[in-house]
Parts: sequence; structure tokens; C-alpha cells
Amino acid sequence: MRRVSGLAIARIALLWAAAIFVLFPMIWIALASFKTPSQLNDPNLVFFAPTFASWENVLSSGILDAAGRSAIVGLTTVLISVVVGSSGAYVIAKYRAGGTATRFGMLAAQVLPPAVLVFPFLTMAYALRLNDTLVPVIFAHLSFVLPVVTWFLIGFFEAVPRSLEEQARVDGFSRFGAFWRVVLPQVLPGLGAAAIFGFTLSWNDMFYGLILAPGKAAILPVAIAGFNTFRGVQLGSMSAAILIAVIPVVIASFFIQRKLVQGISGGAVKS
Amino acid sequence: MRFKYGMLAPLIAVFVAVVGFPLLYALYLSFTDYKLTDRGAPDIVGIANYASTFTNASFWEAFGVTALYVVVAVGLELVIGLAIALSLQKQKWARDVTRSMLLAPMFITPIAVGLTFRFLLNDQIGAIPELLRGIGINYDFFGPGRALFTLAFIDVWQWTPFMVLLLLAGLESIPKQPLEAARVDGGGPWYIFRRITLPLLAPVLVVAILLRALDALKVFEYVYATTRGGPGTETQTIQYFTYQTGIQFFRLGEASSMAFVVLAVVLTVIVVAFRRLERNRSA
Amino acid sequence: MSLTKKSGRFAAGVALTSAIAIALTGCAGSGGPAEVESSGLGDIPTDTEGTVRILMENVPDTDIVKELVSEFNTVYPDITIDIESLTFDQMRDKLVSSFQSPDPAYDLIVADNPWMVDFAQAGFLEPLDERIDSTTDYDADDFFTPLTDITTVDDVRYGVPFYNYALGYLYNTADYEEAGLSVPTTLDELVDDVQQLTTADRSGIAMQPQRGYKIFEEWANWLFAAGGSIYDDEGNPSLDTPEAKAALEAYITAYENAAPDNSLNWAFDEAFRSVSSGEAASMISYNWNLPALNDPDGASGDLAGQFKLAPMPGGKQVLGAWSWAIPTNSGAPDAAWAFASWITSKAVDVERVSAGGAAIRESTLEDQAVLDDGFGADYYEAVKEILSDAAPLSQGAGGEEMIQAVGTELNEAVAGTKSVEDALSAAQAAAVKIQG
Repeated sequence: MRRVSGLAIARIALLWAAAIFVLFPMIWIALASFKTPSQLNDPNLVFFAPTFASWENVLSSGILDAAGRSAIVGLTTVLISVVVGSSGAYVIAKYRAGGTATRFGMLAAQVLPPAVLVFPFLTMAYALRLNDTLVPVIFAHLSFVLPVVTWFLIGFFEAVPRSLEEQARVDGFSRFGAFWRVVLPQVLPGLGAAAIFGFTLSWNDMFYGLILAPGKAAILPVAIAGFNTFRGVQLGSMSAAILIAVIPVVIASFFIQRKLVQGISGGAVKS
Repeated sequence: MRFKYGMLAPLIAVFVAVVGFPLLYALYLSFTDYKLTDRGAPDIVGIANYASTFTNASFWEAFGVTALYVVVAVGLELVIGLAIALSLQKQKWARDVTRSMLLAPMFITPIAVGLTFRFLLNDQIGAIPELLRGIGINYDFFGPGRALFTLAFIDVWQWTPFMVLLLLAGLESIPKQPLEAARVDGGGPWYIFRRITLPLLAPVLVVAILLRALDALKVFEYVYATTRGGPGTETQTIQYFTYQTGIQFFRLGEASSMAFVVLAVVLTVIVVAFRRLERNRSA
Repeated sequence: MSLTKKSGRFAAGVALTSAIAIALTGCAGSGGPAEVESSGLGDIPTDTEGTVRILMENVPDTDIVKELVSEFNTVYPDITIDIESLTFDQMRDKLVSSFQSPDPAYDLIVADNPWMVDFAQAGFLEPLDERIDSTTDYDADDFFTPLTDITTVDDVRYGVPFYNYALGYLYNTADYEEAGLSVPTTLDELVDDVQQLTTADRSGIAMQPQRGYKIFEEWANWLFAAGGSIYDDEGNPSLDTPEAKAALEAYITAYENAAPDNSLNWAFDEAFRSVSSGEAASMISYNWNLPALNDPDGASGDLAGQFKLAPMPGGKQVLGAWSWAIPTNSGAPDAAWAFASWITSKAVDVERVSAGGAAIRESTLEDQAVLDDGFGADYYEAVKEILSDAAPLSQGAGGEEMIQAVGTELNEAVAGTKSVEDALSAAQAAAVKIQG
């Protein structure tokens, strides 16, 4: 009994430490977004009369449009990745389909630097006359989101016990039925994690978005990086922009996670 | 058979389009003398780019810097991430809020993270050195021998949440029966963790390490935002080096060859590691 | 499940991809469409129609240009000016990738000085001699010579100056007075002054020893002050001279004794914050930072008004400059020249500089309207002195690479991981290799 409570104390201490570690820079960012340029030079300043100048500056800079474009790109990329990736990952995990070549070949684009891959994408965009749309950005994002999502899911499908599926087949499910009704619900937390992470990768990418998105249709990271000017970083505005980028995604991930955790406990009862 | 390929076909089709083509095109460029300022088709130069990449000491130095960075950053993320995931799994109070909040660093574009830490860690206006001075520590975050670890620390801040996200999902997918059985048999928490949880979690762990390592390999923004590769070339990562060669110095053909050398080395390491792992597992 | 079949499919996929790749390779690096033949016209008729798409860096100088567009349209009502502005690295990346476009992407660009030679020699810029010489009342000789030297590649002018970013010594007059010092006129004085200015809670000088561009840009001023030069009279790099050694030793002395603690990765941003918040007494930076330092609504707060600009000790400093240039694949070269020549014309330049734009013309700095505009006559006097004796970091092609290589070695010396001699001879060797 004593040992368990010792472990519990360690657990809670760790979580508090982690929370402080994560939150400290976030709080600094939040404070910075309400400071004037000269207040930003004082690291000790925690209590001050807030100014909303940075927020006004950021909100009038079209950042919400940029966030909208980033959301379109991110959601499209994730949707395609999850649909295509989950079915593919399932057969790769179950049958080792495609052999090592497919499995590791997939990671190739993960290793190559964007600085090298961006020009092929650019050429493709011009050749297909898609250079004035967001499509090339989605293409480029798929090149690193899809492998990640697929790999994520391979791991999760491999963790599903074979007996579960065999039982489903005995119960009269078709192959696809067994996949859809029995195996897939089992990996829902993984699917959710993959979707969240895939979205994050797309949401955060600046380089492809910079080169491939049409001229004035900047995506969010490009807009955020825009506050790093020749005459210095506009810390206040950048901080406000960071919060605009982070808050909706944190809220969305809150609901996704809650849903998924419920999903998995529901699935576990059935098995 | 048909089911199998029916399920796989869409994946392969999308892959050929978004990965296959750019990859082959970049491969073609790596055999040319292509410069971004060129007009007209570039000349094929055979393996000249590869020859110069192989003999380029700065390239290999950047490779070593990156490898050290990956090992430090991903190693820490794995240990811390696993500990947090195990703790969170048992968390009941405000669990969804805690989880979402801990994920927050992941959603900030890395360039903004780099710039934020550049100022947070600044000796004169940064809050962290200020706090450290309060307890009598004067630490040069971007000094020689330290800058690379500072960058790895930034990586840990931003990407441990990824480990937590993935490992937590993994912990929640593993079947409950073996854990219950072990508990009934009187196994202690450490025994259960080592003998039951860890092996069941292994496939997810492997994926987590692999994906995080590949991503850390591409570290660019933190370097760009803070040190630009200094002191000297101590933090010049492979990605920063390739970017400079290909875009800043316009030599895209040469940069492409660097990219493929990195790719070959990395894929070899991964495949060898996997073969080992599979053999151990079947043994 | 047979292995052959699996790899068969995989091979088919690879083959298909290769086919697509080869088909598309046709357009590889074709460098864009057929070039529009330059008319060479200087005076562009005011009824010219067209859209001029311009890629610029988001700096205050660009904002000033944007504000002048409506006035331009009163002269050229049928030319639409479409300005896209990005931060420096984004803009550079976007610009070089636009070279790959089969369609004209930008009709007028601004080019940073290290790029001029590379772009011009690659045939990417339209030669402007004919246009400059035939533009009525343009008076190109009025531009500061160091600026037009940058736009001239192999005796051909490929651009006209947009704005300068020459450096100078920016200092806090109150701190100087308090220490009983006057502006340094020699390198030794500079090193002594900044050490005397250093107190427990203030640094004498906020330095920018960040690896690469920043440290080279700063240190080269010390090199000039020590009587050295980046290139010798034949145009060969001269970085391993006794003057260079003296300059680097002085630089390191100042860094160790008078710069803020732990500032090895500092760049402009940190240094500016340090000086504007009174934590450092001086810095070496762009001349037009003086108005920003003295802006009561800016970062300086109460300290605004205390700062002054002086040329570097010895009188010579590093010059950076942006230039207007017309890409050879411009879709509207005449309209582009109409705008470039209008914005750089004498009358408009006065407006631009009065609004806070960085100087390019000598006559502008003597114009009464400019001298009365509030930044102060002595500021313009200093700018004029600075611009009459300034040299860029690089000459010839491969400028960016040479700057990076030299800046790496200098940073090593300051970090203490290389000796001064080793760092300088390595810098010299790298510069010779890249540009020799």
C-alpha cells in the first residue's frame, strides 16, 4: 500500500513539473502579446496595464484568412491521409504487403529536405497549371503527412491481437467487415493521435507553404514568420499570432481526445 | 488477394503522385549541375555532385552534428514522454484538459518556437536566464559546447508532447486482460511495466522513435532562429547546410545529391535496425 | 502473397512514376518563358497600361513605397502596382523559386547587393544603361557612387538604387557624457571607450557576433577602421593581413570586456533591444536605425532622443544596398521602368526620404525639405559622410557563400574555438576558393 502511494506522489509531481515546463513559455508568450515594445525588454515584468495594440495589429493583418487557408490545407491533407492510410496500413500490418520496399520507401520523402523537394513540387504545379491554387501545398503536405499517418497506424494495427479478428471472421464478418467493425474501432485512439499529429505537421509547415501557395494567399506559419522583420522580431504581434494559431487547435484536440477515449472504452466492452 | 490490393491501391496511387514523382525528379537533379539562377536545361554531370558531397568535410560534420542532436533530443523525449504518458493514463482529475494542454507546444510553428526561445533564453531580456541568475547560475545557452544541447532542449519542449500523444494512445489500445491477470498474480507495478506493458507497447514505441527521429533529423527552424549554425559550425545541421547550398548559394543540383546521400545512410540504418529487431523478436 | 508479384507491382509503380517524371523533366529548369524584348525606352509614355507585380521585403522602406503608389497613379493612371512583401529569407526563397516559373512571376524586383552579380551574370536581369541614359532629368550621377558601384556588373548597369543600409556607430550621448568621452575617431579609441562605458549594469557596446552574415557585417567595419580592406586593389580577398589581425583582436577584446554576457549568438535584434533599453551604450548598425532609436513611441521609451549617429572611426564603413531591377522575364518591363524611374527620381526621392526612407541621392540630403523634417540636419550630415565612403562585403559572384564562410571563421575566433591567425587564414582560403 505504501509503495503505491509513493508512486502516486511521484506521478502527480511529474505531471505538475511537466505542466510548468510546458506552460512557462506559453505564459511568457501570452504576456508578451499584451506588452508594449519597451515593456518587452523587461523580463521581470508580470503585472502591467495591458495594451491591445499587438492584437489589433495582428487581427487586421489578415491572419484569420491565413488560418482559414491553413485549416483547409490541414484538414484536406489529414482526411486523405487517414482514409488512404488506414486501409493501407491495415494490410501492411496484417499481410506484410508490399514488403520492406514499400514500407521503408514510404519514409523517403520524410528524410529528404524540403529545400530539395520543393522544386519538383513547383515544377509539377506549373505543369498541371495548379500554381495559383492551394492544391500544390496539399500535395507537398501529403508527402510527409501520409507516411507518418500510415506508419502510426501500422504500429497500432500490429498491436491488435490476431485472435480478435479471427473471432470476428468466425462470427461471420467479411474481411472488410472485420476490418471496419472490429479492428478499426480498436485503433481509434491511434487514428485520432495520427490525425492530430498529421494535422500538426501540416499546420506548422512554413517552407512548402511559402513557395507553393499562391502569391498573396499566405498560410498561417508564413504569416507568423512575417513578424520576424529586418528591423527585429515584432515579439508582441508574433506572440498574439502564436496564440491565435494554438488556441483553436488545443480546443479541437480536447474534443477529439475525449471522443476517442470514450470510443475505445465502448469498443473494449464489446470484445 | 483482391482485398489486399484493393485496400493498398489508394495508398500506392497517392504515394506515386506525391512522393514518387518529386523523389525521382530530385534524383534527376542530383545528377545535374543545376543552379537556381540557371536559364535553360541543366547539364548532366554524372556523379560529380556525389563525389564532391562524399569528400565534403563540412557535409559530414553537419551529419555528425545532426546525429548527436537526434540522439539527445529523441532519447530525452522518449524517456520523459513515456513517464508522462504512464502518469496521464492513471490521471482522473481534469484528464482531458491536462492532456490537451500538454499538447499545446506541438501546435506552434517551429520557427515561432525558435524565435520565442531565442528571446526567452536571451541573457539580457530573457526570463529564463533571469530566473537562473536569481538562484546564482550564469549559464551561456548559446556558447561553445552548449548551443547544440540548447537546441535539443527546445526540441524536447516542443516534441515531447508528440511522444505523449502517441504513447498514450498506445497504452490505451493495449488489451486490459494481461495486465489484470498479472495484477491478480501479485505482480508489482515495475514488474507489470517491464514484462507486460513494455512488450505490448513495443510496436508503437518503435514507430514513435522512428517518426520522431526522422523529424528531428530535419531540424532547421531552431537553428535558423537562434544560432545560424554557430558557434563556428557547432550547430550547423544537415538540413541547414543543404538549405544554404541549395537555396542561399543556388546550387540545387549539389544540394540534391546531399539529400540522397543522407537518405541512403538513414534508410540503411533504419533497415538494419529493423532487421535486428525482427530477429530479436522471433528469437 | 508471392514475393515476385509484390515486387512486380512495386516495380510497375516505379516505372509509371519514372515515365511521369521524364515527361515533366521537359520543363525542368527551362528558366521560364521566352523573354520579352526590352524596348530600352527611358521615358515611358504616361498612357502606358499594365500591371507591375513587385516582390519586396517587408521593411519600413517598402511601406513608404506603398504609400507613394497612389501618387504614381496620378501620373500613370493605367499602370497597376501590385506589391507583395515578405520577410527577408522568405522573399529570397520566393524570388529564386519564381525563376522556375514558365510564366512571368514578377515584373520588377528589388535585389540585395550580394545577389547582383549572380543574377546579372545568369542573365536574369535586364541591362538598364539605355533606359537610364535616355530618361529625361534622371541625373543618375547624383546617386552615391558606392551605391551605383553595386548596381554595375561588368560595366553594365542592371539596377538603380532603392535604399541603402550602410552601417555607422550609434551611441547613447548621455552615457558618453557621463563617462566624459567623445565620439571615437580611431579603432583604439573605440576599444577603450566601450570598455570605459561598461559598468555593472550596462555594457559598453552591444555586439552582433552571430555566425555568418552578422559577424562579418559588423567586423568588416573594424577591419576598415584598422586600415584594412576585404579585397586588395586587384580585387583579391585580403583577409589575412596584419590589419585584419589587429581588427579581429580588437573585436575580441571588446566582445570579452564590453559586450553583454553570453551574447555570442546575438544579431541585430538583440543588440537593438539592448541599446534601446539602455543596457548597452552603443552599437554598430544601419544608419537609419537612429530615427527608430529616437522614436518616443518605439522601444527606447524615455531614452528616445539621446542617441546619435557617427561614421565609423577612420571614416569608412560597410555598405549594403537594395536595388530596383527588371527581370528579363518581366511581363511588363516598360511599366516596371516607369515605376522604378519615377520612385527614384529627384522629386519623389525627396518625398520618400522625408517620410523616413533611406537615402540614395546626394541632392536629397541637401534638400531643405528633408533637412527640416525632424530627424535633424546633423543626422543627414552623418549619413552623407557614411555613404561617401562605404564598401560592400563582397564583390563578384558567390557573394552569399563567401560571406557565410568568412562569417563562420570569425565566429569561431570569437567563440575561442580557433586562434585569430587560424581563423583569418581559413577565412582567406575560403574566400579565395569561392571567389578567386
